Amino acid sequence: MAIEGADIIKAAACLGAGISMGLGAIGPGVGEGMAAAKACEAIGRNPSEAGLLTRTMLVGQAVSESTGIYSLVIALLLLFVV
Amino acid sequence: MQELGKIHQLIIHFMGHDLTFNVEVMIMTWIVIAFLIIFGISAAGKKSILPGPIQIVGELFVEQFFSLAEETIGEELGKKYAPLICALFMFLVLSNWLGIIPHLDEPTKDLNTTLGLGLMGCFIAHYTAIKEKGLKTYLKGYIEPFFMMLPLNIIGELANVVSISFRLFGNIMGGSIIILVVSYLTYSLFLPPFLNAFFGFFSGTIQAFVFTMLTTVYIALKAK
Repeated sequence: MAIEGADIIKAAACLGAGISMGLGAIGPGVGEGMAAAKACEAIGRNPSEAGLLTRTMLVGQAVSESTGIYSLVIALLLLFVV
Repeated sequence: MQELGKIHQLIIHFMGHDLTFNVEVMIMTWIVIAFLIIFGISAAGKKSILPGPIQIVGELFVEQFFSLAEETIGEELGKKYAPLICALFMFLVLSNWLGIIPHLDEPTKDLNTTLGLGLMGCFIAHYTAIKEKGLKTYLKGYIEPFFMMLPLNIIGELANVVSISFRLFGNIMGGSIIILVVSYLTYSLFLPPFLNAFFGFFSGTIQAFVFTMLTTVYIALKAK
């Protein structure tokens, strides 16, 4: 059974999707962990402001996640459209 | 891998071009609008001093987002744009929660919805900038530090719109695809309700709030 051109394209698209999502998940993980660490530290120093600090941390983490979301969109495009 | 879902589209051939309507997304948007109208009528119907539960929820939304708009944008301009901010948040929260009801889909699952809302925010911000500062100051803002910054400033504006809309679209679409694949793999046994709760309630609310706040900050930056 010979390997055709269309099979190579599909294989390359799946490989690209895996690499894109895998490497793209490193950045947001590190960044959001650092934000959570600073929030824990700040709550330890000032426990009465815990609600405001938690809300600010969640919003900051949601913005920092956006580059991970961009690589997810690229991976989905490669898997389902190519 | 077998086919897990399909998108229904209505394609009309009109004068040599094709108009494509995504029918499901439009119907879901109408459902959200109907919910919002019913909620608005029942919350503001009789303004009583001792509020009932629906009026309490309405007052909560209005109080939070009017104060957010006035803090960020400024006093008189904030009062003018606060209803827009409040309506944007309520529309986004309800449309992100709509996926939890069994046969309904979130309308923000389609890039058209989120890109439309992002472009609306962009146009409002630029229109406010031109009306507040005048055309000359607005155009001079593009060559602000020195003349070579012109392409960078233009790309910055486009990047703002793209990032806002793609963030919301990617979160909601990615969440729903993960739920679909996991339900297919586990034969819909234990996991899907918890995933639905996480992606729908928690992540949906946070993404709606981030979208609204970024639009507010964008308007405030341009209007200064």
